[in-house]
Amino acid sequence: MFDNVRVPEIKDEAAPVHAKSVTAGEVSASQYTPEERALILRVGVYVRMRWLVILGIVAAALIASLVFDISFSILPVSIICGAMVLYNLIMFRWTNSLKAEPTGIVLKKAERAANVQVLTDLVIFTILLHYTGGIENPFIFFYLAHTIAAGIVLPQTRAYQLATIAVSMITLLVFLEYAGVVSHVNLEGFVRPDRYENLGRVLAVLVALATLIYGSTYVTTAVLGELRRRQRDMVALKDKLLEKRAKELEQISAEVVKLEDERRSFARFLGVVAHDLQSPLVATQSVMSYILEGYTGEITYGQKDLLERAVRRIDGLLTLITDLLDIPRIETGQVSREMREISFNEVIKKSLEGLDNVAQQKGVTLKLELPQSSPLVYGASRRLQQVMTNLVSNAINYTNEGTVSVKVIDNENDARVEISDTGIGIKPEDMPRMFNDFFRGSNVTSKGTGLGLSISKRIVEAHGGEIWAESPDPETHKGSRFTFTIPKKGAVASKEK
Amino acid sequence: MNRKPKILIVDDDVDLVQVMKGTLESKLFEVIVAHNGKEGLQKAKGEKPDIVILDIMMPVMDGWAFAEQYNKDPLLAKTPVLALTSFSESLGQPFPFQVSEYLQKPLKPKDLIAKVEEHLKKLGM
Repeated sequence: MFDNVRVPEIKDEAAPVHAKSVTAGEVSASQYTPEERALILRVGVYVRMRWLVILGIVAAALIASLVFDISFSILPVSIICGAMVLYNLIMFRWTNSLKAEPTGIVLKKAERAANVQVLTDLVIFTILLHYTGGIENPFIFFYLAHTIAAGIVLPQTRAYQLATIAVSMITLLVFLEYAGVVSHVNLEGFVRPDRYENLGRVLAVLVALATLIYGSTYVTTAVLGELRRRQRDMVALKDKLLEKRAKELEQISAEVVKLEDERRSFARFLGVVAHDLQSPLVATQSVMSYILEGYTGEITYGQKDLLERAVRRIDGLLTLITDLLDIPRIETGQVSREMREISFNEVIKKSLEGLDNVAQQKGVTLKLELPQSSPLVYGASRRLQQVMTNLVSNAINYTNEGTVSVKVIDNENDARVEISDTGIGIKPEDMPRMFNDFFRGSNVTSKGTGLGLSISKRIVEAHGGEIWAESPDPETHKGSRFTFTIPKKGAVASKEK
Repeated sequence: MNRKPKILIVDDDVDLVQVMKGTLESKLFEVIVAHNGKEGLQKAKGEKPDIVILDIMMPVMDGWAFAEQYNKDPLLAKTPVLALTSFSESLGQPFPFQVSEYLQKPLKPKDLIAKVEEHLKKLGM
């Protein structure tokens, strides 16, 4: 009858799928839909509440007969209480057996258990009421408890049906008693018997009770209906907001894809520009080197000198083009795409290949000090070599005699490289602009693009590291010292734009 | 030396090819020239050179596409490749050949000869 029990309308669509593989007895609560779980819980609550009600009846009967000396038939009340204990034990077993039912079937069975209990309760309560004074027993208002509970958990029409059953039962009881079909039990010492003979009073109580039952049903279903409507509105609003969020997210990801596309085509453009600018210069330089090296026949000293000057200028221009095109590549995130797990010592060793020759030719000693076990960093090997080449060749360039020493320190969170020289040093007024694009030291005369240090700074910072210069070197009090750090694997996330 | 070492140059820059050809021929090497990757692949298969000098950035078929086809041929895959590249082109790219080396452009004739001879020596020539 009350098969249409209202419960929270949340559907867990994944849950029923598991049901097939589960045999009875193994079912755990997690395999039910939220709807089923709520219903099983409610049926269980009925059973627990009923134990309390039985205790309450026994207590009320004891207090009535012992304290207030109200006479009523003990036997029927005891029988009813005994019957209720038995009935509740059966319900307890029934409720527990529900938990072994597979999902899907359990919903129907639990609904039937709930309906049976609600009806049985009403019947038992009516019989109990008959033996304890009928309409004169103030506990008659306990019908309200049932109808209010029904108004909360049942749909509106079902709640009114239950209210009607309750009112019908009371009316039937009163009618049967008044008509003499069933004898009225008088609560001696509590209510005077002549009260019951007053039809007007009996009808007034009946009408008042019926009105209260329907009224409470109306109020509870109306209030709950309103609450549910608001809940639905809120859910709808939430869905709308989520939808809006999803749309925004979609737009942002589309934007990201577009930006990435733009970055890629920009990188392609830079690649073509680099190639097309460099190719003619490379060819020109190769042709001149070919002549310089005598493949086309002997050349005079004057010709050789001029050709060498031209080769040097083209060298400079090639470096400038490479450096200039490197900056936008680094700034569009090229470095992080080149990053791998690398052994830092290997990178440093590789970067110095060829540079010791340069140092030797200048009469400068190049020293290298590495930690015994190499720090592991997450970095772009060739980029870090680029930084090293820049810093070390600078140090060699600006040192006319003495030593350039490279020292790698394995710190807890980073690998640190110190490049010290005994060269001309850096003027204090140049310090703040050291790492700016196109900066050339005021005491520097040799060639260079002025981009080496600014590119090095970009590369180090793309790794999440730091780079700085000191002059004179705080340890030797000569020349200058350049230091950069690269976070060790897992230490710090990349700070790259 | 039983026979002349055979060098294949694959490069689209005719001036550069001219210089490299002249340089290598002065050492009495046999030099074959191809002007793009596709032609280079055909000549590599037909002529079986001892060493390939390859420009990475080329029209029609670039160095990486060339490498993909090149490595499929078991004989060619063992032939050394000297890949000509400028610094910015090669950054971050994995090396695509089994036996090979990047040669940084611009390359001086004497450095080219030194590299070629180094690889020929490894081949026992």
